Amino acid sequence: MVVGMEEKYLICEDSLEGVFTGIYEAYAMKGDHGHMHIQIGEEENFRLFAVYIKVTPDDVKAAKVAATINRRLGAEVYLDLCRALAAEDGEKGEAVYKTVVRGLRMKEGSRVMGALADDFVHKVFELSRRTRNEVHHWKEFLRFQELENGILYSKIGPRNNVVTFLAPHFSDRLPLFDFMIYDEKRGIFVVHPKKREWYLVTDKDFDEREIGRYAEKEMEYQELFTFFCHKIAIKERKNLKLQRNMLPLRFQEYMVEFGQ
Amino acid sequence: MYYKAAEKMGIKEKLGILTDAAKYDVACTSSGVDRRGDGTGMGNTEAGGICHSFSADGRCISLLKILFTNECIYDCKYCINRKSNDVPRASFTPDEVCELTMGFYKRNYIEGLFLSSGILYHPDFTMELIFQTIYKLRREYRFQGYIHVKAIPGADPMLIQKTGFLADRMSVNLELPTAESLRRLAPNKHRKNILAPMRQIQNGILENKNELVLYKKAPYFVPAGQSTQMIVGATPENDYQLMMVAESLYQKFGLKRVFYSAFVNVNEDKELPALPGGPPLLREHRLYQADWLLRYYGFQASELLSEERPNFNVLLDPKADWALRHLELFPVEVNRADYQQLLRVPGVGVKSAQRIIRARRNGSLRFEDLKKIGVVLKRALYFITCSGKMMYHTKIEEDYITRNLLSVKEKLPFDKDGVTYRQLSLFDDVNFQMQQDG
Ligand code: SF4
Repeated sequence: MVVGMEEKYLICEDSLEGVFTGIYEAYAMKGDHGHMHIQIGEEENFRLFAVYIKVTPDDVKAAKVAATINRRLGAEVYLDLCRALAAEDGEKGEAVYKTVVRGLRMKEGSRVMGALADDFVHKVFELSRRTRNEVHHWKEFLRFQELENGILYSKIGPRNNVVTFLAPHFSDRLPLFDFMIYDEKRGIFVVHPKKREWYLVTDKDFDEREIGRYAEKEMEYQELFTFFCHKIAIKERKNLKLQRNMLPLRFQEYMVEFGQ
Repeated sequence: MYYKAAEKMGIKEKLGILTDAAKYDVACTSSGVDRRGDGTGMGNTEAGGICHSFSADGRCISLLKILFTNECIYDCKYCINRKSNDVPRASFTPDEVCELTMGFYKRNYIEGLFLSSGILYHPDFTMELIFQTIYKLRREYRFQGYIHVKAIPGADPMLIQKTGFLADRMSVNLELPTAESLRRLAPNKHRKNILAPMRQIQNGILENKNELVLYKKAPYFVPAGQSTQMIVGATPENDYQLMMVAESLYQKFGLKRVFYSAFVNVNEDKELPALPGGPPLLREHRLYQADWLLRYYGFQASELLSEERPNFNVLLDPKADWALRHLELFPVEVNRADYQQLLRVPGVGVKSAQRIIRARRNGSLRFEDLKKIGVVLKRALYFITCSGKMMYHTKIEEDYITRNLLSVKEKLPFDKDGVTYRQLSLFDDVNFQMQQDG
């Protein structure tokens, strides 16, 4: 083995900030990108002769990387990378890193996502699509329930980390409402106070049990909508298998019309 | 004039009656317009549309689809609400419709409202009620989500015009493909009364586009475009006639969508065909596929069907069917073919064709790259080469390819607006039947 050519693994936190800081450090080392890797979280099987470097997330460094990506690869690629990093996947850090490297080497970096024959680009493409699809599904299937104090409350259990993509959508729709979206798998809440910007809190700062009682009208609306869904179906076309294909069971448990 | 909004009836009962009465209108899409909220009310719209649930028939629920009233002075033979039927009748008040829309929308049950109506007293009276309802919803309740309303044939053009400035989409149902069928089954409706508002809306949309160029602040008129619906299987027209009508609606009336509704026999009228096999769902499905080919794949109706061959192949989708009849045009070279040629390859959709064009700028594509791009190779392999080579050594021969294609499940273009969702399952049925038949 040639000295100095050992494989270097940058161990990053599972967040946008974590991975972007990793990319910053990788460039700072000025080595050969082919021998550097980004890995999220701890490695289970250590490789012999590999060097492991722990990267601490850093606002400033991450912001620099984000700015470079936006400038050189464009906002659309940036969004694809963000979506890929929101996906639940062990190799996403490496895929995003190598896609950035490829993009920055191209004359027109904004075209990097077209290079689908590249395995890393393809991975980012797949992960981004996975997140985007799930975001879309929750835009469809998430339900708000009205609490006594007027807050609209929603609980979801997404596979990928989608709440930050849902928050702008619902803030634009419901600007005059207080609402909360709770990702029960990750313990994160989106909080939107009426006429103000939304923000995130974690379940360390807020206990789900503090959610109050449902408004009186809430049950009435749930009943009306359930009734509507029942009435709108054409019995001569009944097709429960199709319904289930379109609406996977994992969403149904959060939907009022499929009542628990 | 007054109308009784059935004072004593509760809201749930009304909702039941007026949903039941509205369900045969198949359009439930919320697509065609992207609009952010302005911060003063509730709602926005997304160009691709959003489905919020699926009913037991597998159809998408996107809008609160209701009739304002199911009272009707007309007697269309195929319609459950016709005057001569003895069914429970109900009418909403404008406020009831607004409250339901707002209450459903804020809970994220729906994208908006689809308001249609039976004809109460007179087309003008009915159109006025529809107008008042959505005026209230937009101005008093400040609802900024999606609104689809029916233009009532025969109503005063001024009322239709006013309504168009509040709605996102409007539709007038053609109902039946020929004037003759319309005369027979909907004796109170006349072809010209249906086409007149359609033309008016088309012109309104065009004028509005010009206006918007001049003043950016001009109000929008039917920004998500116009649609219509034809009933399939109640009258003897063949697929070729239906497609020719659809094509001219797209070309001459600038329609955004034509919907096809497999006839459900609710009245057992002697003028109507008995359908022991249930609604003609497979036929409806083939029509949607062909419609798709007209709108996105650059096909003409006359390429797909003809007087001599007036109906779609039950077993093959219209694109594969076309390709098999034009084997002289294949195989095409994926690394050189233009976009239009790629679109005509079975197994290549709009998205994968676009991706091929982008990806091949970075070098020649191989079959494994096509797979990553989303091409369905099992279908495409008979029709393409990569760098001059076919994927396998296969015969390019109609019977042989047909047999192979039939053993592959059809994959259909993915659309968020509900109609195409339904297409998936039908093929399970086809395969199922074929297996059963041995
Ligand atoms: S006009 Fe005809 S189709 Fe419309 S509600 Fe009345 S009877 Fe039914």
